[in-house]
Amino acid sequence: MSQKRHRLVPQTLGLKRRRERGPVDADALRGESGSARAAVAELVRLFPRGLFEDALPPIALRSQVYSLVPDRTAADRQLKELQEQGEIRVIQLGFDLDAHGIIFTEDYTTRVLKACDGRPCAGAVQRFLASVLPACGDLSFQQDQMTQTFGFRDSEITHLVNAGVLTVRDVGSWWLAVPGAGRFIKYFVKGRQAVLGMVRKAKYREVLLSELLGRRAPAAVRLGLAYHVHDLIGAQLVDCISTTSGTVLRLPET
Amino acid sequence: MLGFLSARQAGLEDPRRFRRAESTRRVLGLELNKDRDVERIHSSGVNTLDIEPVERRYMLSGGSDGVIVLYDLENSSRQPYYTCKAVCSVGRNHPDVHKYSVETVQWYPHDTGMFTSSSFDKTLKVWDTNTLQTADVFNFEETVYSHHMSPVATKHCLVAVGTRGPKVQLCDLKSGSCSHILQGHKQEILAVSWSPRYDHILATASADSRVKLWDVRRASGCLITLDQNNGEKSQAAESANTAHNGKVNGLCFTSDGLHLLTVGTDNRMRLWNSSSGENTLVNYGKVCNNSKKGLKFTVSCGCSSEFVFVPYGSTIAVYTVYSGEQITMLKGHYKSVDCCVFQSNFQELYSGSRDCNILAWVPSLYEPLPEEDETKTKSRLNPAFEDAWSSSDEEG
Repeated sequence: MSQKRHRLVPQTLGLKRRRERGPVDADALRGESGSARAAVAELVRLFPRGLFEDALPPIALRSQVYSLVPDRTAADRQLKELQEQGEIRVIQLGFDLDAHGIIFTEDYTTRVLKACDGRPCAGAVQRFLASVLPACGDLSFQQDQMTQTFGFRDSEITHLVNAGVLTVRDVGSWWLAVPGAGRFIKYFVKGRQAVLGMVRKAKYREVLLSELLGRRAPAAVRLGLAYHVHDLIGAQLVDCISTTSGTVLRLPET
Repeated sequence: MLGFLSARQAGLEDPRRFRRAESTRRVLGLELNKDRDVERIHSSGVNTLDIEPVERRYMLSGGSDGVIVLYDLENSSRQPYYTCKAVCSVGRNHPDVHKYSVETVQWYPHDTGMFTSSSFDKTLKVWDTNTLQTADVFNFEETVYSHHMSPVATKHCLVAVGTRGPKVQLCDLKSGSCSHILQGHKQEILAVSWSPRYDHILATASADSRVKLWDVRRASGCLITLDQNNGEKSQAAESANTAHNGKVNGLCFTSDGLHLLTVGTDNRMRLWNSSSGENTLVNYGKVCNNSKKGLKFTVSCGCSSEFVFVPYGSTIAVYTVYSGEQITMLKGHYKSVDCCVFQSNFQELYSGSRDCNILAWVPSLYEPLPEEDETKTKSRLNPAFEDAWSSSDEEG
């Protein structure tokens, strides 16, 4: 049974705890607490730019933000505010309905422009980035929205899909996408399984966090152990238990 | 607490505020206590529990073997160690016992003279508590997953029944027949719940991922179908108009009836505004849900910030309702927990699980004071913990 009882009505209740627990222990990963914006900035620093030759904007995941900002509802709300202000774009990564990638808008626009430089679709892409992105902060776009509100012709939409900016989702609707993100998603899924496998193969299916981060990353993990560990903690694929020797990652029993 | 007491006495504090603060403190201190036990009668999993709303003294439990047991929760002995005894039970040798597993039991909301039980044997039985005979039986074509009677209704005696078929049936206790049918769902109805605020509002949850709110006085279809995206098309097209991305297993209104909690097999719990149908987007994290039938969870009542107790595998997870924070996991059962109920008079939680046990979670705040007199402490000990050997050096 967890001994961490959180104070809800702080001083008025004077809840007598059996064992006084300090705040969540700040070790290498959990140092950040605070806003979602700071969390995204820190996660973006963990992203290996060199691996993709700087062609991909640094992508953080929503589950990683949850691991740095423990209050999920507040994290969701702050991310939504950032999305509405236009500072970040949320992208649907194809492998899981809940997995959303978070990218800073300036990174996204610079990389996309660089990727489609000199190609025939450049004009349509530039128009899209200039007119649609600031106006509509959603993850996906509908046919009537694109043709009526923003005045894109079908040929231009085909250009956008070819450039990798839009991905077909359904008849007449498209997801916003990052050109060249396929490689990232492949490395990510493989790396997630590999790190989960490292925890699974450990004795008692639990691993000390500091020890896991100090291990040599297996070949399947290209994005870095810290990146994947944040994602696993936030997606609740591992339980994070604080012990006297530090944080332990344990596979949930179910 | 002394500060609260003196402030209340002086008139500086509202007495209700003190009551809510103390209730919240007690709920935060819930744990298993060796002094409180519930007598074990069931020989198979306990599927459902219900505490009567009048005195909060008697509890009904329904098991997978069709047995229904009535417990007295009140501690009338002077000892701190107390087992909640079974007052009576509808056992396997009772002529009217359900043939298969009892899925839901509910006390008649206005007194303890009657209770209703529904089971996989396609019946809903109305029992007279004092004679333990069935007063009425409603038969259906499909297995019954869940039923509920409105706790605030004075103008009607309708019992909403959710079965394997897609139609919600409303049975009238006064006339003894099904009065009407609500159509709209496409698959089996796993949970039904009346609103504790309005006697005509009913919520139903179905395996087709939809939760619908109905006004039973209207002849046309449902009032609202809850949509997890709140109408935004930017999320997946497949989840349009659905409350969850999987079957919706459990429904619970908060005690004031203004919000509705739903759990689904997509391992999520969502909080909805029950008047507008809007998803409040409170994020509880992963709420593991592997149940193939309904999951019965409960909300606390009378605390300053309400808590929801959800069966999570073989533990019970406690969250604050409006902020989504996980408070604790109550561990104690050996197998998966199926149901839990909250006794709001003493802030106790009773939970039933597939390991045939009903556990009582009691607020533990103070250690008992050590008694000066030694004989008195001995009499307080549970005989199971007493030593059988003598401490003297002589033999025997």
